[in-house]
Amino acid sequence: MAGIDIFLQNVANGVLMGGVYALIGIGLTLVFGVMRTINFAHGDFVVLGMYSAVLFNALLGWDPYLSLLLAMPIGFLTGVIVERFILSRVIDAPPESALLATLGISLIIGNAILLTFGGEPRSVQVSYASSTFSIAGVNVSMVLLLAGIATVIMIAALYALLNRTEIGRAIRGTAENRLGAELVGIDTRRIHSIVFGLGVMLAVMAGVTLIPLLFATPTNTGAVFTLKAFVVTVLGGLGNVGAAIAGGILLGVVEVLGASYFMSEYREAYGLIAFLLILLFRPEGLFGRTVKRV
Amino acid sequence: MPNVLRADGITVKFGGLTAVNDVSLSLGSGEILGLIGPNGAGKTTLFNAVTGFAPMHSGRITFLDQDITGLPAFKRTRLGFGRTFQTERPFEELTVLENVLVAAFLTVGRRSEAERIARSVLEQVGLADRAHQPALDLNLARRRRLELAKALAVKPKVIFLDEIMAGLNPPALREMIAFVRSLTAQGLAVLMVEHIMEAIIELSDHVIVLASGEKIAEGTPHQVTSDERVIEAYLGTD
Amino acid sequence: MTKHLIGLGLLLAAGIAYPAIFPNNLTIAISVLLFAGWATSWDLLGGWNGQVSLGHASFVGLGAYFVAIGQSQFGLAPWWTMAMAAAFAAILGYFWGWLTFSLRGPYFSLSTIAVAEILRLVAINEDWLTGGATGVFIATLPEPFGIDLFSRTAQFYMALAFAAVVIATVIVISRARFGFQLRAVREDEDSAMAAGIDPTATKLKAFMLSAALTSIGGGIYGIVLAFIEPHVMFALLLSVQIALTAIIGGRGTIWGPAAGALVLVGAGEMFRTTFAEANMLIYGILILVVVLFVPRGIVGELARRHIRRLYAKRAQS
Repeated sequence: MAGIDIFLQNVANGVLMGGVYALIGIGLTLVFGVMRTINFAHGDFVVLGMYSAVLFNALLGWDPYLSLLLAMPIGFLTGVIVERFILSRVIDAPPESALLATLGISLIIGNAILLTFGGEPRSVQVSYASSTFSIAGVNVSMVLLLAGIATVIMIAALYALLNRTEIGRAIRGTAENRLGAELVGIDTRRIHSIVFGLGVMLAVMAGVTLIPLLFATPTNTGAVFTLKAFVVTVLGGLGNVGAAIAGGILLGVVEVLGASYFMSEYREAYGLIAFLLILLFRPEGLFGRTVKRV
Repeated sequence: MPNVLRADGITVKFGGLTAVNDVSLSLGSGEILGLIGPNGAGKTTLFNAVTGFAPMHSGRITFLDQDITGLPAFKRTRLGFGRTFQTERPFEELTVLENVLVAAFLTVGRRSEAERIARSVLEQVGLADRAHQPALDLNLARRRRLELAKALAVKPKVIFLDEIMAGLNPPALREMIAFVRSLTAQGLAVLMVEHIMEAIIELSDHVIVLASGEKIAEGTPHQVTSDERVIEAYLGTD
Repeated sequence: MTKHLIGLGLLLAAGIAYPAIFPNNLTIAISVLLFAGWATSWDLLGGWNGQVSLGHASFVGLGAYFVAIGQSQFGLAPWWTMAMAAAFAAILGYFWGWLTFSLRGPYFSLSTIAVAEILRLVAINEDWLTGGATGVFIATLPEPFGIDLFSRTAQFYMALAFAAVVIATVIVISRARFGFQLRAVREDEDSAMAAGIDPTATKLKAFMLSAALTSIGGGIYGIVLAFIEPHVMFALLLSVQIALTAIIGGRGTIWGPAAGALVLVGAGEMFRTTFAEANMLIYGILILVVVLFVPRGIVGELARRHIRRLYAKRAQS
């Protein structure tokens, strides 16, 4: 293959991987945007989604995409419960309290899965796992494309929810100014529960979508996903849902190009370096509005 | 009287907005300078620019014939600035004595000496009996005195008081006025931002009036309070 | 201060007697002591200075690698390599802090994870330096005064000395000027500046000291393990464990982190058969309990009650 073809293939891979990263990132960024809470357990909710697909496949023989029908509502409810009983109690405490609380939740989820399923990697075999097709000489993985489509649908749905519905208006109001929202009669406690429920639902969805592609392990994968989600959201702009797509794609491309043209062992590091640079020099994110320096 | 502090042509901008425009002031030892003006006049901004807590756009500050323009706030403290904050900012998890110790350690390294300074300052502001109380538990009047104690414990040559009288009840106000006067007797220069006219008139040797970031009047308390522009500035916003 | 130093002396005496009384429980005691030392070192920055680091495993790894590589490749004795590790950790801490201290609160914590992860990737990938993902093995160690450093008893005393030195450092600092500067910066940076304190310099000093002390414990850990892998030494989970040990025990208190180590390692041992490798579950549950019900941690809460009681008494008399 000529250099330009390799480059195009790399970019395509990066963009597709980026779609998945975006899907992991939106839940985190939504929660941060509204609740100003950095959810450390986000990646573990992704892993929870992966294991739910494993479970539905083992018990009922369902395809991962079919199991979304059950996994997503369960994820939503889990999020609402966690918010009600844990996070709502620390929302007005110093910001580290929420970080530590979600860190605790992260450890509990990861280790509870470890106790239930054991430590060996799990996955769901699907017939289309390794199928690819080619567009203009560029190979595209079926699973990644599906995940990408899921991302786009999810973000469009989220966008519609935020902009076209009454509840979306309340969510945006709460994100903008919590006190002001309460003054006009919005129950921000309820909004927080809903938003955290949505965040967990999105994480679970990302996990289910990824299971044909990746193996799930109880504790390590969660931390990896949480880090990826941080990088995506910080690249895009913390709290900016639409920019999560841009952040995800940017991370995907940076990783793939960095790995193919510099040192492939440091694939994971490129995203982290970009993350640090953005945090330090442009904390509002590449695509975010200018906000007060954190 | 020799100048302790001199600020020339201080201008502070936030984005496109000019919060303080070309204001100058000077202060001699043992002197009290009052800074008054309606809300939003730029008093606290000027105060923060002089003490180094807000960046200046232009201007020059000299302290004891040394150019301190652009020095960070903590270095100004080391040279002889002491300040209080408008909304009191005690180190909440520390006790009253520990709060003052933090400041006392600026001039001495030994614990016993720092403690001696801290206790004498607490005695001076009337908080000696509260030394071991958590700072978080103090009431407003005592938090104010703790602010003062912290500012005094750095052994300043000039002290900046930001609305230290606001919200005090009449007896507490009388006490505070007497206390500020006693500071000048030790040769301390005082710059105070204040809303309480009673305190300004009684204490200030000299008053500067700010409105919309500009100096609109300057003189003795009697002169400025009878100045028409001052009256207009106050009435115009109220 | 004297009170605390006497307490430390008594614990030290008990510690010296420990191997003779419980010769079969040395490994777990080493674990408690190392975590006590690490958590106390972490607390200088995280508790006393309020900068929550989730990257301290980097310094543990640094210490362990200095000792292991120094011994296996250059024949350097551990005490030299530990001193070198401490110096290097302080330098690393300086640059790390210089890079990230403009960030506050949770953002600082996030940045420490990123830096630590990058360092972990370096340790895994730079084979020439670290032996890569396969790790380094310590095959021989010098025998100072005929002491076998591979024996658990010798390792116990090293860990005991480490924990004692770190706690003594904190006891001295808590009374000294530096201790007050640390706490002032934690409580309110502007107010600290008004007291003549340079917040950035204070945080840098705290980070450097914390990093150097942690790396010395890391060196001892390297000797205890004798086989060092980057996955273990630089793991995010180890960073999290160190931070949570201090926070659960009580941030910004002299004995909190050590108490946390005792509780957490002890609980881990108690539930070892129940939870097996899932013993981090205990950390998760306890940190939730602490955040929701005892935000000052175990010792912090006890100390607060003690102070209130004392004050109530004084107010009465």
